[in-house]
Amino acid sequence: MRMTLTALAFLSASATLAVAAPGPAQQAQLDTYATLAKAVDPAFAGFSAEHGKTLFLAKSTTGKPDTPSCTTCHTADPTKPGQTRAGKAIGPMAISMKADRYSIPAETEKWFGRNCDSVLGRACTPLEKGDFITFMVGQ
Amino acid sequence: MSMDRSTSHEPLAPARIIVWDRLVRIFHWGLVLAVTFAAATGFLFPPNWLDIHVISGAFVGCLIVFRVVWGWIGSTYARFRSFPVSLALLRQHVADIAAGGGTRHLGHNQFGGLMVYGLLAILALLTITGIVTLGGVVKQGPLAFATSFATGQSARQIHEILAIVTLLMLAAHLAGVAFESWRSGENLVRAMITGRKAAPSGPVEPLATARPFLAAAILTMLAALVLTATIHLSDLPARGVPPVALDPTYAKECGSCHLAYPPSLAGAATWSAVMADLANHFGENASLDISTTTQLENWLQANSAEHWDTRAANAFRIANPADPQRITATASWVRLHQDVPDAVFKSAKVGGKSSCSACHRDAAIGRFDPQQISIPREARP
Ligand code: HEC
Ligand code: HEC
Ligand code: HEC
Repeated sequence: MRMTLTALAFLSASATLAVAAPGPAQQAQLDTYATLAKAVDPAFAGFSAEHGKTLFLAKSTTGKPDTPSCTTCHTADPTKPGQTRAGKAIGPMAISMKADRYSIPAETEKWFGRNCDSVLGRACTPLEKGDFITFMVGQ
Repeated sequence: MSMDRSTSHEPLAPARIIVWDRLVRIFHWGLVLAVTFAAATGFLFPPNWLDIHVISGAFVGCLIVFRVVWGWIGSTYARFRSFPVSLALLRQHVADIAAGGGTRHLGHNQFGGLMVYGLLAILALLTITGIVTLGGVVKQGPLAFATSFATGQSARQIHEILAIVTLLMLAAHLAGVAFESWRSGENLVRAMITGRKAAPSGPVEPLATARPFLAAAILTMLAALVLTATIHLSDLPARGVPPVALDPTYAKECGSCHLAYPPSLAGAATWSAVMADLANHFGENASLDISTTTQLENWLQANSAEHWDTRAANAFRIANPADPQRITATASWVRLHQDVPDAVFKSAKVGGKSSCSACHRDAAIGRFDPQQISIPREARP
């Protein structure tokens, strides 16, 4: 019994550890966004999960009226599945729940392009994208 | 074996003879059952009862074919020869009734005979127009390979008129039976159950010998022929339903927020309008890169509703000029769904008018068969 519990504790600890770090594909995207962010602002010193969270939860009035926030479709809990306005399920945004998130640059860019425009009425900056992914990597 | 164990051999009921043989009675009550089911499912029940409707219709057709064969080689009173219909005979019959007496008819009287022929004919026509409708409108059954939607729609209109005329004829039939039972003092409904009527005092018509084995042979051959043909013809690709699978890029890109609407659901103009405005797609940005947009637009144009002859393609081909991007705004879509309450569409289980697949289990392949309609239980009113 003790053995099992210890093993379980160890397993869950290592699982948490594994999730908290981005996988190689996600790291590659973060690196790309970091390079771009540095090009915009030479003082760039790394992404902030806190800023990513703020972006994710913020209410916006500058985008399209039906999509005031990222949470409109993704819900306020990144570990929960979301739903499109047409009623189709969206997998969770947290990589602990969906490990293949943010691993195909073309897909990630396509959705940032669409969703930032829908919610904010503008494109997201590389800094915002990096912050967002950093936040989701920790979830 | 003769079907007429008639005349006077049973000592207990010497005065009652078999008029309607067993097969005629089974035919009659089987037809009552099949027509009742067909009428109930056709007039009253929702379209997803179509299978039961078609099966009852097929039964009606089989019974009619049997009756025609039996009218030719069945027992005495089953034979068409025993109830000829002519204007002169009808006039005479009316005159007889008017005179207060009239001849007693062991088999069908003049009006009864006329009704039998009328019902056999109209039910045969109903069966035929039903199969044409099934083929042209629903793209199912043995005639789907050859029947256009337009032909199917015409058949459907005739089918519906014939169905109403049949109801009127059945009402007249019941009235006639009631009247004749009263007039002749003989319960005709019971006669159709027991098969017996009081023996006439005068001479009986010479008996014809039924040929049940010949009938069975003919019917078996017909059944084998029709069954084989039906199975083979039903397997042929339906007319106006090309075997086009969804383009994989389309399925992925246009299926991420909602059902990837099959291209047959809208006309080329609608698809152009949708693809030209993806950045403002129903309140969202759904834009794609130029090359993907062009690729999908070309594929949609090549497979739009103009290239299909399904009911859905015919219905939704014409866009609503006030809302040209929506399938659900077309006049036909609104008409087809007028009986579905708004609350059902708004329920969480359905998720809006655009969620075709919530209620149409075959929406993804663009078929929209009536049998596949099922409103989620939680959303039902
Ligand atoms: C109108 C609904 C909607 C809104 C609002 C929305 N999203 Fe999304 N988002 C989606 C859908 C649908 C997907 C794709 C489905 C999937 O990947 O499971 C998606 C995917 C994404 C992806 C791609 C994930 C990956 O695996 O690469 C990112 C990044 C994203 N969204 C970010 C955002 C951000 C940031 C916001 C707010 C500014 C936002 N979304 C608002 C619907 C929405
Ligand atoms: C970012 C999400 C998204 C993507 C991607 C998307 N759509 Fe839509 N689409 C919507 C929404 C939201 C609606 C409105 C649904 C509603 O009213 O319930 C809609 C509605 C439609 C309708 C109208 C349905 C009706 O009510 O008649 C059509 C047609 C359509 N989309 C076609 C497409 C095509 C073609 C593509 C691919 C190029 C596509 N959509 C991709 C979100 C999307
Ligand atoms: C709330 C459930 C629901 C939704 C959502 C829905 N339908 Fe229907 N649909 C029905 C019902 C119920 C009928 C049968 C109506 C009747 O005849 O009484 C029907 C009938 C039809 C028919 C005729 C089928 C036939 O041959 O009898 C077509 C075609 C059709 N719908 C297409 C669509 C399309 C396309 C969509 C999505 C844009 C859609 N429907 C969305 C419930 C729904």
